[in-house]
Amino acid sequence: MAISLKITPTRFQASGTKLDSNRRYIRKVSSSADLKFVVSRNMDVKNGGLRYVNPLGNNVDDANYNGTFSGSAGVDIKVT
Amino acid sequence: MAGFTTSNNRIKVTQEVTVGSSTVEETSFDTNSNMPHIVGTAYLASQTVDFSNMTQSSSYAGTDFCSSNTCIGYEWTWVYVPGYYTYETQYVYVPGEWNFSYDYWSSSYSRTYTPSQFYSTQVLVWVPSEYYREFNTVFDACCVTDYFIYNINGRESSSTVDLVDLPTDEDGNPIDIDFVIVQASGSRTRNGKDPRFDQTFVTGVPPKTFSFQGSVLLEAAAEAGGNSWMRRIMSIFVNNSTGKLRLQKKESVRAINRDGYDSAFPYIGSSRSTFSFNLKVFFGRFK
Repeated sequence: MAISLKITPTRFQASGTKLDSNRRYIRKVSSSADLKFVVSRNMDVKNGGLRYVNPLGNNVDDANYNGTFSGSAGVDIKVT
Repeated sequence: MAGFTTSNNRIKVTQEVTVGSSTVEETSFDTNSNMPHIVGTAYLASQTVDFSNMTQSSSYAGTDFCSSNTCIGYEWTWVYVPGYYTYETQYVYVPGEWNFSYDYWSSSYSRTYTPSQFYSTQVLVWVPSEYYREFNTVFDACCVTDYFIYNINGRESSSTVDLVDLPTDEDGNPIDIDFVIVQASGSRTRNGKDPRFDQTFVTGVPPKTFSFQGSVLLEAAAEAGGNSWMRRIMSIFVNNSTGKLRLQKKESVRAINRDGYDSAFPYIGSSRSTFSFNLKVFFGRFK
């Protein structure tokens, strides 16, 4: 039977363990990120070339790319 | 030890974790922080992305003036030479001959030989006027040909379509979406060929289910030196102001020339590609 709510000195579980203190839920932070979360378009093409905006927000361009696309960096995410 | 607190519409769960030789309390779950979560899901079957055939054109590159000598012709001009007098050397040959005679007094015959003679003499002669044709070698017009160079026409194309409405709240208003995660499966249903070769474009679409956020590279082509001249991409994103999930296809083709002259790109008419995707879209928010 699924756990509705269970609290022990070392663990908290609720809603069938959807919420579990043993798990790591990700959350948006403003600093000390563990990873980046891409939230928008991150590629553009022009003049036969590609611009890829990596999660850090840096442009990675093919030699022939001459467009002006400005993508945004990924959102900072904390895991623990 | 785990911690659990509820207060003022906030639920917070913490957990002690060991870091090196020390134990620290870290947040596992906190409704006061921006926690990514999914507020809606959309299933979109058989979404077609179509990139049309490229086009080519030719332009004058030069003229071949028959350097091969295979098609040489002639032309002439009439030249008039007036009549004139001139001395002409004429040669006369007089053959040698025997002459016989009879002497009645001595009743004897005698003979004498006159040797042959060969002599020349100058004779004044009249050379009549004349016309003659002076020939000049020319390149026959039928052989002079212009040659052309072919190039793939550059183009920048893009189109965006609305796929589906964004999830709505209890009042039926679209929810502002912070991100979408797309899980896609599908395939290239028409394998576009590189106009230069009998080879399909390189595709970045994996044969199995894949997920992406933002954009994905569908096809690419590069010149011999490695520089790209063609890219085809697809992006899926939300427009919160219109409340729509959108799909954009975008293509960039840089004009490239064909090697050699009078040689069209043989597979230009096979450069169209189509894709069909089944999309599972997760609409997410941070708050």
